[in-house]
Amino acid sequence: MMIPLLKAELFKLFRESKTWYAVAAVLLIEFIILIAAYFQGATILELLLDNLRQSFYFEGTLLNGNLLLYIILNSLWFNLPLILMIVSSALITEEYKNGTLKTLMLQAVSKRKLMLAKYLTSAIFTLLMLLLLMASTFVLAYGIFGSGDLVVYLGTLNFFPAEEAFKRILMAFASGTLSMLFFTTVSVTLGILLKEPAKTWIASAFFLILSSLLLKADFGLGSMERFFFAKLTNSWQRFFDYELQLQEILIDNIALTVYTFLVALGGMYLFTKQDVG
Amino acid sequence: MIKPLYLIAFLLFGLNCNAQEIDADLLAIKAKMDAVNTFSAKLQLDLDAPFINMPTKRATMEYQRGKDLKFSSDDFVILPKRGLDFTLSELFEHPFITVDRGMQTLDGTPVKVLNVIPTGEDSDMALATLFLDTEQQRITASEITTKKNGTYKLKMEYDRASTVLPSYVEVAFAIEKLKIPLNFMGSDTKIDRKTMRNMDTKTGILKLKITDYKIDLQP
Repeated sequence: MMIPLLKAELFKLFRESKTWYAVAAVLLIEFIILIAAYFQGATILELLLDNLRQSFYFEGTLLNGNLLLYIILNSLWFNLPLILMIVSSALITEEYKNGTLKTLMLQAVSKRKLMLAKYLTSAIFTLLMLLLLMASTFVLAYGIFGSGDLVVYLGTLNFFPAEEAFKRILMAFASGTLSMLFFTTVSVTLGILLKEPAKTWIASAFFLILSSLLLKADFGLGSMERFFFAKLTNSWQRFFDYELQLQEILIDNIALTVYTFLVALGGMYLFTKQDVG
Repeated sequence: MIKPLYLIAFLLFGLNCNAQEIDADLLAIKAKMDAVNTFSAKLQLDLDAPFINMPTKRATMEYQRGKDLKFSSDDFVILPKRGLDFTLSELFEHPFITVDRGMQTLDGTPVKVLNVIPTGEDSDMALATLFLDTEQQRITASEITTKKNGTYKLKMEYDRASTVLPSYVEVAFAIEKLKIPLNFMGSDTKIDRKTMRNMDTKTGILKLKITDYKIDLQP
């Protein structure tokens, strides 16, 4: 029962023109960010290395594919989720808007399974988008700018050799994907709550902005503070600490996955309690 | 009134006479260095500087008399603008005088301390203090104050008694506080303004291990 439902949801998603608009928009954003990253990267390096330049000269270049990928990662995790959230929330809000949910419910379809299929469709779409984005960004960044050492500022100026930088960027992409999955799951749940597409988009954008603002907030919770969802969505950045705390990042990512499941379970519970008719 | 004038005149004259001479030990070291026609070597660089984390880097260097040192590396490497002048060609490039500051003990070795003062305006060096191992005829440490590039302290170690060029060099340099563009920081990176303010100028150390020397000496 679950597989046909999932297939139907995926079919509906990829038949929608807005899904392809979203794919095009994401790729366009990626291209724009890449160009901006090149110019931004040159300025950043100029500023970062300015005081070292007085006493040292440098052999090799830091304006390479790895630096651009890091700048792209910084821009991507704010610009990308909004588009993914709009497409994901449409999985349910469009059904409410067109009244197709009522038709679906007239058939012998379990509400819980239907919502599970929608959450899974949203997750598959997010994963596919991230894979496409990762592959194209890597090809463009390394193809045009080549590889090389990465310099990152996170309290200290951290230099990573090219191979280490590649590994860390790859892991950061994987960790960032978990954040994207959290945001898209939230948007589907918001869709169940609000039902109307426009309201859900506004709520999704608000949630995203709020998360971004709360990321910098200090609640005085000490060691527990890092388990606040907004902080967890930024775990990918910790892959660029000089001393890699893999275990801690793993715990953070597991915690974010738990949040994602809880949000999905909450959404499924709300939907089963809702009177669709 | 006349006595002090005599005294000033004597001091000026006397100092001038002494200062015109270039220390014989330094000239001996220079002659030893001048024999080096070309050399190439492998470098291992370790940077120990506040607010900078950099893994060990590797590079190769090539020297040809009368030309600048050439470095090449597959990695991104930071190299000091000064301090790698092992043949002292930069030091002897412009006219200078030397002032003998006597003997000292450096890491258990008696060394002769010498001030090198350029006499012309062309040199970027304002003052150099050299610590000479007169027995082995080589420089074991130096402190160079430049007009534009700050002050550098160098410590050199040699793996063999007879060798001309060092196998280990430690370059200590002043590093100013980092100017960080905000848009390059991680979105949750906090700026510790107090720490940043307190680190106006700190010392960084670049440690260089030099191996696989290929030296071409003049016959």
